[in-house]
Order: sequence, then C-alpha cells, then structure tokens
Amino acid sequence: MLGDLDSTSVLGVRQLTRTFGGRAVVENFDLTLERGDRVALCGPNGSGKTTILRCVAGTVTPTGGAISVCGHPAGSLEGRAAIGVSLSQERSFYLRLSGRNNLLFFARLRNLSPREAWRRVDALEQELELKAILAERVDRCSTGMVQQLSLARALLADPALLLLDEPTRSLDAGARERLWGAVQRRASTAVLIATHLDEDIDRCDRRVDL
Amino acid sequence: MTAESTFNLPRLNVVSAIVRRDFLVTRSYRTAFVLEAVYGPLELAVYFFISRTFADVARTNLHGAPSYFAYAAVGIILGAVISAASSNIGFGLRDEQLTGTLEALAAQPVRAIEICGGLLGFPLIFAFGRAAAYLAIAGFWMGLDVSQASWVGLVAVLLASAGALASLGILTGALVLVVKKGQTVAGVAIFAMTLLSGAVFPVEVLPEPFETAARFMPTRFAFDGTRAALFRGEGWGEDAIVLLALATVLVPLSVAVFAAALRRAKRAGTLASY
Repeated sequence: MLGDLDSTSVLGVRQLTRTFGGRAVVENFDLTLERGDRVALCGPNGSGKTTILRCVAGTVTPTGGAISVCGHPAGSLEGRAAIGVSLSQERSFYLRLSGRNNLLFFARLRNLSPREAWRRVDALEQELELKAILAERVDRCSTGMVQQLSLARALLADPALLLLDEPTRSLDAGARERLWGAVQRRASTAVLIATHLDEDIDRCDRRVDL
Repeated sequence: MTAESTFNLPRLNVVSAIVRRDFLVTRSYRTAFVLEAVYGPLELAVYFFISRTFADVARTNLHGAPSYFAYAAVGIILGAVISAASSNIGFGLRDEQLTGTLEALAAQPVRAIEICGGLLGFPLIFAFGRAAAYLAIAGFWMGLDVSQASWVGLVAVLLASAGALASLGILTGALVLVVKKGQTVAGVAIFAMTLLSGAVFPVEVLPEPFETAARFMPTRFAFDGTRAALFRGEGWGEDAIVLLALATVLVPLSVAVFAAALRRAKRAGTLASY
C-alpha cells in the first residue's frame, strides 16, 4: 500500500491526488519530511493546502497516491498517534467546556491517564501562557484564543509531525512569538505549515508552492 | 480507522474521556439536565392517573403486571434505557457534525469501537440512574407492587436490553455519518418499534400484522423480560438470553458498519461538513 515510500521519513507523500465532485483539488503531489524539517505549504485559496493536511491527518482519504507517517499509512491508528494537528476550523472544540477541559479530553483520547493528561496540560499552560484561556469556556473565547488552544492541542502528545493550517492568522505578536518558540523548542519535530504569511514562510527551512 | 483495529478491545482511558466529556457538556445545560430528569416522573404520573381512571375496565393480558399502571411504568422505566441505547449516538454525532468537532475527534488516535462505547457510556449511566429513580418513585409514591421482584433478573434484563439495543444506536450513528440527518429517521423508527413492542399497551391489542411483527422485535423481549423480573420474579431468563445473544451478534456487526461508515465519510471528504 505504501509502495516505495521511505519508512524512515517522518512523512512521505507520493503522487497524492484528491478529487471532490470530479474536480482534482490536489494532483500528483509529492513531499518528504525528515525529523526537524520545517516546510511551508504555500498557494492561493483553493490550491489544496488544507486538503493535503487533511489527507496526512487521516480525516480525508486520498483518491490516489500514498501517504506514510512514521512508516504507517496515513489515517491508521499509529499514523494518527504520531501527528499533532491544528486545522483551520475555529469550531473544533466543545464550546460548553473550558479550555482546560477540552485539552484534558483530547489528551485522554491519546490514552493518557488522567494524571498524565493533567501534567501535560499544566506544562503547556506554562509554556504557551494559556492560564486565562484554559479557565474560560470556549464559547467565550476570541478567535485568537481558540487558535492558541488549537496549537496546544496539537502539541499535547509530543508529536513526531506537526500539521498547522494557517496557525498565526488570528494571533497577536506575543502569541505568534510563543507559537514559534514552542516549535523551535521541539527541534526533532517535523512541521508542515499551510500559510500565506511571509513571516511564517521565513521561519521555515523551505517552501513548497502549489 | 483500519479494519484490523475495529475489533480490538476499547481502551478505558479513551472511553472514559468521552463519557466524562458528555457528562460535563450535559451538566452545562442545567435546566435541560433537570427537565430531562423530571420528565419521567411526570410521565409516570400521567399513566398512574389513567390507570386509576380506568381501574374498573376489564383488562387484557398485562404480562403479569398487577395493574395497567404497573404495565405502563415498565414502559417508561425501560424506555429511558432503550432511548439512551438506541438514539444517543446518532444525536451525539449529529451534534459533533454541527459544532465542527467530528473532524477533530476523527483526527485523534481513537478506534471506532471506542467512539461508540464512549458515546453510549454517559447516556446509559444517566438512563440507568433515571430508571432506578423512576422505579423508586413508582414504588414508594404510586403503589407499584414489586414485592415479587427478582432484582438480579431486573438488572440482567436491563443490561442485556442495553447491549442489544446499543447496536441500533451504533447503526443510527453510522447513518448520521453517511446521510447527516439520519438520526431523526432512526429516532422515529425506534420510537415506533418501542411503542409497538408493548411499552404502554399489550401487543395483543394490535391489528394482526403489527402483533406478529412485534413478537420479533428486540424491544418486545426487553419489555417482557423486565415485567417478568419485576412482577413475577421468574421467567425472565429466556428473554435475557435472547437479548444477550442479539447483543453478542449485533454489537460487533454494528461497530463494523460504523467503522465502514467512518471510512466512507473520509473517502467522501465529508467529516467536516454538515
């Protein structure tokens, strides 16, 4: 199924094609990420950036081609376990729950014990300065606050691969610095970012234009 | 969601996380939470007074129940469990679609069986709690005679009923993943099935084709077994075995269908749409 994909790479994408209603949004796309790589996925609206991230995250199945995440097929349990993902949808949290309860929930979906889930959420609260956001119910948070929560969720499991869809779009300067600081501290984590922003692109090792 | 992972045992941390989340979300709607809890006693009161109104009317076979109220009380008590087992996954998943959390959930390393188990968990715990409370209210304040009850039998039949009917709930969840608003259609079908299986009137009063159909419905075994355990203290074993057998066959089957529906939604790219 994974064909000639290099199983030692964090991410291998070969000939990825995804169609919606007969229209190819992504066609024959190739990409390889090794440990510590930072790659910016660039392109105009509708060029397929988010679709590629979704295919890698395993929430959309490719129409053609193959994707390997740490040697496992994208979408497999092992593949999903290796990924931390922050997709662009703002409404991906339980609005009636606090930021902390949301993060605890997603941490425990990683099969962490309640104690370990608390420990990781506390560590991210300190690192990303999330105290106010974690205390607030998500339906009372601003878009930027939710975006910071989304990054924290992606970092919960110490992922080998981080997928970030326009992660700084609604962030203020301080939050952007904290985001990039967190990424830099995870030197071995491979990062794939869909973005339009020059600042994000400049922080990456290379860019891939769609 | 690979096929080989579908039948692995669910991990307790993952299932309990979903149960806890559902508890927290349900508790956050305090008024609805309280109203849902008091709805059953109101329903019990309605049938209590109907039963008193028609106390002198000749009864048909009430399956061992000492009065019409006793008969209908089982329908209400068990109805809470049936509704939780068979409808809540569909409604829960529909909520996830509408609020946008379904894709975030599917991106996590969670198996189909864990999603099903987790989504069933809190509604069933809540339903068992309500069923116990309704039974206590009916016993202490409305004169429901449970002096002959086999409590072990009652618990066995309720658990087996929840297991058998959970498969319908899981299938409803699969329908929601594929056609989005499927929970309404499934909800109506399950309501009709519950009614036709003897929830508040005996199946013998139904026209012939419905009566025959009712005899094969899983809910009929649930109602008969519960009444046998509660009012006679015996004769519930056969119904419990049938329900258990149905659960053993149908739950793995329905989880496999659910996993297939999830894969289909990923192929169609519709997990994030509603």
